[in-house]
Amino acid sequence: MTTLRLSFDRIRKQLASIARHPYFGFLAFGSILVVLRLLAIGGVIPNSLMKSLVITMIYAIIALGFSLLLGYGGLASLGTAGFVGLGTYFIGHFSGTLGYPFAATLLISLLGAIVLGAIVGFISLRIEGMYLAIITLGLSEILREVFKSFTAFTNGVNGLGFRDFALFGLPVSDTAVDFIVIFVFILIILGTLNIIKSPTGRALLAMKNSDSAAQSMGIGLMKYRLLAFILATIYAVIGGLLYMMDQQFSIPTTWSLDFSLNILAAVVVGGAQSITGIILGTFMIFGLNMTVLKEIAFFREYPDATWIVSGLLIILITMFYPGGLIRLIQAIRFWLVKTGKKLKRKWRIHRYGEDD
Amino acid sequence: MAKMIDSLLQGFRLHRLNRLRDQRSFLENYLPILVKAIRDREARRTALWNERAEAALRGPAILADIATPALAAEKQAALAKIEERYRWRFKALAQSKKRALERSADPAVETTFAHRAEELESRKRQTLTKCALRFETPLERSQSDLAAAKEAYRLKSEAVQAKAEKRLTLEKAKADRSVAAKTASYESKIALLGNKIEAVRGVLIARRSADADSMMPEDVLLSVRNLSMRFGGLLAVDNLSFDVRKGEIFGLIGPNGAGKTTIFNCITRFYRATAGEMLYRKNAVEVIRLNDYPVHDIIRQGIVRTFQNVELVWELSILDNLLVAAHTVYRTGFFGQLFHTPKLRREEEVMRAKAFSVLNTLGLLPYAFAIPYGLPYGILKKIELARTLMAHPRLIILDEPAAGLNDKETEELAVLIKKIRDDYHATIFLVEHDMGLVMDVCDTICAISFGKKLALGTPAEIQADKLVRSAYLGEES
Repeated sequence: MTTLRLSFDRIRKQLASIARHPYFGFLAFGSILVVLRLLAIGGVIPNSLMKSLVITMIYAIIALGFSLLLGYGGLASLGTAGFVGLGTYFIGHFSGTLGYPFAATLLISLLGAIVLGAIVGFISLRIEGMYLAIITLGLSEILREVFKSFTAFTNGVNGLGFRDFALFGLPVSDTAVDFIVIFVFILIILGTLNIIKSPTGRALLAMKNSDSAAQSMGIGLMKYRLLAFILATIYAVIGGLLYMMDQQFSIPTTWSLDFSLNILAAVVVGGAQSITGIILGTFMIFGLNMTVLKEIAFFREYPDATWIVSGLLIILITMFYPGGLIRLIQAIRFWLVKTGKKLKRKWRIHRYGEDD
Repeated sequence: MAKMIDSLLQGFRLHRLNRLRDQRSFLENYLPILVKAIRDREARRTALWNERAEAALRGPAILADIATPALAAEKQAALAKIEERYRWRFKALAQSKKRALERSADPAVETTFAHRAEELESRKRQTLTKCALRFETPLERSQSDLAAAKEAYRLKSEAVQAKAEKRLTLEKAKADRSVAAKTASYESKIALLGNKIEAVRGVLIARRSADADSMMPEDVLLSVRNLSMRFGGLLAVDNLSFDVRKGEIFGLIGPNGAGKTTIFNCITRFYRATAGEMLYRKNAVEVIRLNDYPVHDIIRQGIVRTFQNVELVWELSILDNLLVAAHTVYRTGFFGQLFHTPKLRREEEVMRAKAFSVLNTLGLLPYAFAIPYGLPYGILKKIELARTLMAHPRLIILDEPAAGLNDKETEELAVLIKKIRDDYHATIFLVEHDMGLVMDVCDTICAISFGKKLALGTPAEIQADKLVRSAYLGEES
């Protein structure tokens, strides 16, 4: 009997230590997503809901890259849309039109991302703050014009379609793409977690806080600014690849300032340094109208009104929780604990009297 | 040509020496952590075996009426728990009685509650007896049964003890073996590295060109020569020269705007000096010109600085702030960090151990996991000081360490600065306005005014110097 209890204790302790591991929450989240996808196959939840969750995950990947830039590096950029668009055209052109194998496309995309990120990184060494944002915005607009006019690569304003995607010679169905997105999403989350908990993440934060202190501690501005931009660009390009696999269509008008601003809003609203916060923020900006609001009759009649709700939520959250949604959640948790304690105390006084 | 090849070779040897030293210091620092982990595991497993042995004996002990001390304690605890539970119940009863009396002054209430209290009392007595019985021999057992049970218990307890002891000795032997093996292998590696280091050092010293010594005497660590710094029309530092010797505490004083911080910024390469050069003895064979190094490479030469206004990473805990300062000591590359390889984890453990030891030296341990926001200014200053100790400093440059501190904190700081110099074998170069502190800790002082040198000497000499007195007090001599 007692031996049994002892072994239960041990198992519980071990489970608790596993649950405390930083990966655990995200892996559990990933498993829930997989289960949801399986439920969608079974017809328990609507397929359209799953579709909006998948596209939200793709946006969350892009937002995570942006958070490394803004939340950790302290560098503002409005060029995200251009980079994501580039990713979609990379896969659309090389894998779709030219029929290259996926590995080659991935390699080309990563190289492209590194080169582009390095260029922007070099610019960021000279120009900072708002001006950097404007320059990256300009770069993004240049890319958009290129998407419009460079028709051999992008099929111009008509948009580029992408069908019959094959991975290692095997055709990939829509369902499989969803699983790929979930898998890549979780991988990216874990990678980001590793980076921000390592010397690199701390170096980026140090650079954000004070250039001079960072330099005096041996953190070269050039190396880490380039790194931040290259990482953000790689995330954006990977987001673009997944977007093309999922949506199978890319058109230059998508990759406008709106998109970059939405990503910026998602990161700021979510809480620029917390992965959980960013996922929540992305869901609020992109996923909310696609999943929840669409079910309400009023919004079905006036679909554009969903943007009003998003706008209001952004205003409210930035007004009352400048640290982002993650602060709101912390505040709620704190409030729950506090209220619980208060209620318990009240009950004790009621039951046992004032003293003791 | 031959000279060039020679210097190139020397450069390779230096690089190799540094790498070997890094490896050795990593091994030396990691060994205690490893041993501690093995011992912790042993302690955990020992505790587990003990717990199991105790659990195996508990059942029979109750049966055989053998009051082991552990059992007696358990019984006491169980009884106390019941007492406590009933104490609360009585309190609750008293409270509801009070409320009932407030509602109506009926004498029947009193009697009801007296009745309920009696009931509760009797229930408590029952529970206590029941609980005590759980720990005592059932009375109907015959003497012979009891004797047999006792004998069986004795046998079982011996068996369990023997088994537990065997397990424990096994565990201990295993841990000892493991510790011995690790220690031996690490020590042999360290010794091997030591031999290599000695060999490389020997060659380095033997091949050392006379250049280094001709540039700078052996005992000088930093030599500033004819340094000038001009901002537009303002000559902030004017043809200044001084030497900082190894192992001393060197103070730079001067009235406000004398150019003290400018000199620091020139040495740490935040400013490009207009003229003059700064020579620094990096090691026994190498004297480098600091003018040739970018600002983020200065720390790699062993020069660490603090800032006049505290510059911490406000989002990170104090411990992580210290780890940021150890940035140059990490050897894991980006991909190692991306995948959190075991190498990175080991390095992090070593760094954390080092950070804790530094925090301990400075008395900052209680703040290790705190965020710097809202901590008192004296603590923040100390954290800046702690940060300088993380990256193997040889020269620590302190920019007004006592600014904003009260008298008591300044006294502590003086002790601390001396302690750092002695414990970490570092040379300290400081700028300070607090004359008490400067005169107390410094071995040599350089006084400047408007970028020009006024005097250089021991504290006593500086105090007696006429030029210094007039610069500070405006005295007419």
